[in-house]
Amino acid sequence: MNPSNPPQTAEYGGDEVSAIVLDPGYSTTRAGFAGEDAPKSLIPTYYGKYNADGQEKFVYGDDIFVTPRPGLSIHNPIGRDGIVEDWDMAEKVWEHSFTSRLTGAKPGNPFQNGLNDIPSEELPTEMEVESEEKPLADSPLLMTEPGWNPAKAREKTIEIAMEKWGTPAFYLARSGVLAAFASGKASALVVDIGASNISITPVHDGMILKRGVQHSPLGGDYISSQIRALFKKNSPQPITITPHYLISSKNAVEAGQEPQVKFKTFAADKAPDASYRALLEERTLSEFKECVVQVWPGPNKLSATGPNGISNEDAARSSPGRPFEFPDGYNQVFGADRFRVVESLFDAKAAIPDPDSPFPTLPELIKASLAGVDVDIRPHLLANVVVTGASSLLYGFTDRLSQELMAQFPGPRVRISAPGNTAERRFGSWIGGSILASLGTFHQMWISKKEYEEHGANIVEKRCK
Amino acid sequence: MRTPSRRKRDKALKEAALLYPNRIISTMPPFKDEHILLIAPGSQMTLAQLGLPETFTPARFRFPTRMFPAEKKGEFEPYKVRERKRDVKVNSDTNGAIEHKAPDVEMKDGDATAQNSTNGTEESEKTVQEIFYEEDVTSEEGAVYPIQNGRIVDWPCFFALLTHIYNSLSPPFHTPILLVSQPVWSARDREAITQFVFEKFKVPGFSMMDAALAACYGFGVQTATVIDVGKGKVDVTAVTDYAVNEHGRGIALEGCGGDAMTDRLVELLGGRASLGRCASNSSEATSRRFFPLAYLPPRRQSCRCRLDWRGDGVDAIPRGPGEGTQTGGETNGDEDEGVLDVAAIVSGDTNEYLANMEKEKASNKKAGADPKQPRLPNSKKEKATFQFEEFVQMEGDNSSQRYIRNSREIELGVERFLLATPSQKIGDRLSNGILEDIATQVHHTILAVPDATKRSELWDSLIIVGCGSKVRGFIQALLAVINKKFILSPSATIFTSEIPSTFTTPLPTGGTNTPAPMGMATPMYHPAAPGVSQLLVNATHNQHGMPIPGTPGMDPNMPTHHRSTGHSQTPTSVKTLRLPEYFSDFKDQGNSNAPGSSTGPSASTGGHGPEEAAFLGAQMGAKVFFVLDQGLSKGYMSRVEYNESGPSAIHEYVL
Repeated sequence: MNPSNPPQTAEYGGDEVSAIVLDPGYSTTRAGFAGEDAPKSLIPTYYGKYNADGQEKFVYGDDIFVTPRPGLSIHNPIGRDGIVEDWDMAEKVWEHSFTSRLTGAKPGNPFQNGLNDIPSEELPTEMEVESEEKPLADSPLLMTEPGWNPAKAREKTIEIAMEKWGTPAFYLARSGVLAAFASGKASALVVDIGASNISITPVHDGMILKRGVQHSPLGGDYISSQIRALFKKNSPQPITITPHYLISSKNAVEAGQEPQVKFKTFAADKAPDASYRALLEERTLSEFKECVVQVWPGPNKLSATGPNGISNEDAARSSPGRPFEFPDGYNQVFGADRFRVVESLFDAKAAIPDPDSPFPTLPELIKASLAGVDVDIRPHLLANVVVTGASSLLYGFTDRLSQELMAQFPGPRVRISAPGNTAERRFGSWIGGSILASLGTFHQMWISKKEYEEHGANIVEKRCK
Repeated sequence: MRTPSRRKRDKALKEAALLYPNRIISTMPPFKDEHILLIAPGSQMTLAQLGLPETFTPARFRFPTRMFPAEKKGEFEPYKVRERKRDVKVNSDTNGAIEHKAPDVEMKDGDATAQNSTNGTEESEKTVQEIFYEEDVTSEEGAVYPIQNGRIVDWPCFFALLTHIYNSLSPPFHTPILLVSQPVWSARDREAITQFVFEKFKVPGFSMMDAALAACYGFGVQTATVIDVGKGKVDVTAVTDYAVNEHGRGIALEGCGGDAMTDRLVELLGGRASLGRCASNSSEATSRRFFPLAYLPPRRQSCRCRLDWRGDGVDAIPRGPGEGTQTGGETNGDEDEGVLDVAAIVSGDTNEYLANMEKEKASNKKAGADPKQPRLPNSKKEKATFQFEEFVQMEGDNSSQRYIRNSREIELGVERFLLATPSQKIGDRLSNGILEDIATQVHHTILAVPDATKRSELWDSLIIVGCGSKVRGFIQALLAVINKKFILSPSATIFTSEIPSTFTTPLPTGGTNTPAPMGMATPMYHPAAPGVSQLLVNATHNQHGMPIPGTPGMDPNMPTHHRSTGHSQTPTSVKTLRLPEYFSDFKDQGNSNAPGSSTGPSASTGGHGPEEAAFLGAQMGAKVFFVLDQGLSKGYMSRVEYNESGPSAIHEYVL
């Protein structure tokens, strides 16, 4: 971690109650205490729902990946564009993210009993019924939001934090700005490659330049859909992903051979929903992305011809393939294909034909974003490109991005800063929030409960620019 | 052995004094080995020990993790206190005292005493009841269990337990405490405990060590996957370079622990055996216990393994509701039928297994012409019997709550191999029993480790601890399930035989920058051995215990061509680790889980094996944090620090 201003203990506020930083994303929700260098709690934003004993039950956290349950279906309270759709469930998922590891279900438990030997008669009886305990009653809360979050959603967020969780102080910060802070920059062009979205956020002096914010659904999920498309037209046979929970046992087979596998069957009324299968397939795909997928490093596109006359495709083909085994035991070596699935991030023509509609590519997005900001600061932004988001960990991604940017903007100096540390890359905006909330000077920025009560939810528009 | 460590310490102190000129370091007298209090709370048993012995031993004291509500609300007693009345002659001296206690009488102790009291008063008016209290060490009636599935559910009770332990061991004034913490405890929980320990016990130093990390210390490895099979839950933790990976950690998976196996056994026995009957009659009570003998089939392996559950002292003894004691009434045929009924429901593997069983039985019959059963290892017998002792209230003497030991024999059939098969009433799990759940969690946890280059090592160093894993064959069965579901075929990995992935640079996909330099893989074995310094180095470099130590500014534009692409899939193999051999006290039971080593149940009364490695690790940790480096590596929080920054500062020390 490289905070621009290290927290200074002197101005750190007298009372040492560390704030909680909550960074909700489409795929995962991160929560932790301000001042730490990684979120303590990382849970999927997905949650499971099923019926048991006649009542609806919910599953939060990693458990959804581990235990299949009868009729389990998977939902996500956040829409594809990163904006919350189901507020009730978003509240519950977020609440789980900090109650499970940080605050516990009931803070301020009567655990003082062990310390204070007050005879029970002397204990004022009304103390026990004292205001209903709220999960965040004693921690300030800093939350993040995408740069294109509508005003209504922002107001709803502060409403939940203040009224449902009872937080004493609240602030809502743009995740792009925070990612810039995490790299120690007040001005930067933040390229955030998330699960459902990629976004470009120009940040100048700690302020977001709204007109330059660009986003498009070319995130990790899009790459997954590209991989699925690749699997569909794979030769010698199309590959189907069968998640582990459907497999009872497998035998080792040679590469490219039919899998020998014993499937598990569930009664029709017990079988988990298709959405559950999709979630676990995604899990296998992310392993695939980690192990196999590689971004063509450049220079030039994969479809172009290299400097020595060999087409880049051929060069890619000649590089050693990467094997991958699927949960059912089917395994295959992936050669040039592993470059192709991500090529469409940079080259629209390279997209593997798929029902999905075409989206602007990453270089186009960056171009559009820069077009939206003042000419004077463009070179400065290009010299401070911050790459964050888990999908940016695709092998070779930053190399290619820098090649593309240099080709596109030959004049100014392009400099990409992307932390080498996996955690810093994945949790960029959380870490920025952690730094921000632990700064002494930030204390005046909090929206206090009193202010909220005076001005209403609209205060977030005025204070959290 | 002593001098080098002392010299090292002095040197370290000098260095520290240079680093922190303002801090008074040497004013506090150093901690001594014999003045360190270790406490490892669990849902069932809390292990405790005062002082570190010359060679580390299993915990000297075991306290049941339960307390009984005292008469005064909010207070707790370690044992059930019964209030009893006795008739005494009226005596002017005691009269007053008795009278004012009398109103309390009717609230406790059901019929027996009530009846007794009426008898008493009827008999003679000259006698008056005197109330006296006795501790009933065997009773569990009304017990409060403050820890459930690792979570602290009753704080006052938990604190009362800590106080009880502290008072029982009565450490001298200058005694730091090391507490082995459960993974499920939230940050606030840890703060609350810290506050309590400092303010109640006035300790000079306090440290909290994660149970999974403690197990790693016990095994002397810095990278391992720790599977802690507890009473009601299982924790799966990936530890890399002495840092616990919080993300993706399997915390308190419910319905996977020892209780799940007990419940399954009870279910298998159904109403057939008396054991089943006692169990269903007093399900609440039995759910806290294990049956001393049961078996688990390693899937597909022909050798069967024994569960060798020795519970924890008194607690593990199944206690039935009294006299009904027989299993023998039923004929052999009946029993077989019952078994097959069960088998019809369970998976194919089990059927296969039962078929083997039948064959074996036939051959046994041929061989054993004489009435005496041939002496077979227990696992080969078609039935096993075991004795257990229970406390039965003395008959004919209803008034006195005295008990006699009564041993009885229970016979178990093939059920004892089926502990880990899925329950009939599937509830809301669709998986094939607890082993599959655990295996899936292990896979998930390892896959969630950000440093992909470590994953292979994590698969190759499973540490299975916790009393639930003492079931004979548990470990083998778990490995078999992992092999069956997750191991990659050789053809998928044959191309990946690149240079071991640890040598790649930790750039984009590479993961964390490990705090320990390469080539430090030699495991630390004994705190007094040279290995210690490495531990110290690690401890100093890794003070926050954060999952991923952050390192600033690696140039991302550094060319990455020299690096092989990405990393390879795991697991290609899976192995468990062995506890270092020279901890002979832990080795007693060391082979209890090895296949084929089925000794009689009598051997099962004894020491504690590797399942308590966490306690061994806690002793090592205590030695290092408190004695060897005297807090330089921020291994513990001192009272000064507590006074300065309050309980929330514990997070900087939590290991």
